[in-house]
Amino acid sequence: MEELDLLKKAWQKDDHSFAQVSEMEIYKMLHKKSSSIVKWILIISILEVLLWTTISVLFNIDADLKKMVGDDLIIYFKALNYFNYAVIIGFIYLFYKNYIKISTTVSTKQLMQDILKARKTVQYYVWYNLGMITVSMFLGFAMAFFFNPQASILKEKIAHENGNMTLVITVCVVFLTTVIFVGIFWLFYKLLYGILLRKLNNNYKELKKIDL
Amino acid sequence: MNESLEQIFVKQLKENQNIIHKICRLYTSGEDAHKDLFQEVTIQLWKAFPKFRGESKFSTWAYRVALNTAITLYRKSTRSISTVTFESRKHFISQEEYNHEEEEQIKLMYEAVKQLNDIEKALVFMYLEDKDYTEIAETLGITEVNARVKINRIKGKLKKILNP
Repeated sequence: MEELDLLKKAWQKDDHSFAQVSEMEIYKMLHKKSSSIVKWILIISILEVLLWTTISVLFNIDADLKKMVGDDLIIYFKALNYFNYAVIIGFIYLFYKNYIKISTTVSTKQLMQDILKARKTVQYYVWYNLGMITVSMFLGFAMAFFFNPQASILKEKIAHENGNMTLVITVCVVFLTTVIFVGIFWLFYKLLYGILLRKLNNNYKELKKIDL
Repeated sequence: MNESLEQIFVKQLKENQNIIHKICRLYTSGEDAHKDLFQEVTIQLWKAFPKFRGESKFSTWAYRVALNTAITLYRKSTRSISTVTFESRKHFISQEEYNHEEEEQIKLMYEAVKQLNDIEKALVFMYLEDKDYTEIAETLGITEVNARVKINRIKGKLKKILNP
């Protein structure tokens, strides 16, 4: 490969063709903000924690539940809540651990793996929350159905009807709402990470191909 | 204490900036993108600097961080094909060695290298910098044998780009 070696010769002598950056300019650069994807993943993790915590605070229905189901059942909901907090703290710890592990001084492959792992943890967190929401929706529906006096009309209708039309429709509506809700989130994250990590994913595939 | 660390860093970086410029020019097109990547590399280097123990040369340490930044951390696409005509005369050949044919070949070769993907560019970069295969393999996280094989394949690919 004669041409590549020609380039190599020229390349190694080439130390005078770059506009030199002064010390002053370097100082300025040190205080600018990074726009790396790692930073974006960190921002997304923080936003996720804030978002889901806000949602759980806003939709805190402990008081209503207590009125509805009484003290006997409320203990299970409390336990579920504490479990939820423990899981969130666990995730925050994992986010932090993943984040500090990312270092530009390791090999390219290792760096890519660490970033992908950080991203996956955020995604697991999102799936966990969506799962919790789905469970809560079904529980809420069941609670309302069995304990809310306003649901008695619906119950009566189901009891007096020939066939299960109303029940089927109700279940379908709940199911569809859940699917659409989860689907929207799934699409949003697919898009978000698709755009953010497209280059990284391509390069990672390329790098893995070399060692096949 | 911190200020002196900053001073040391800035001085080192200023002295070794050419290797980073080389990476920026390889991975970007246009002056703005070049500056943008240079800045991101500088930030990443500064972040990693407290862990730099001087076991390797500053330039060796810096080019690895710079490559990782260009390939992995930098968000803007680096695969856009250069529309800026490459001024190889100004870049690579000093006046006294001016040789038209050779210059043309170097220019075409550099343009071919710019068409490679990010990983291939990294391999070519280290080849041009005369790094040995152990270091190339270690930097990318691949095996030495495969680094060798891949570089040979890239040479073939470059040949094809030059003589379609």
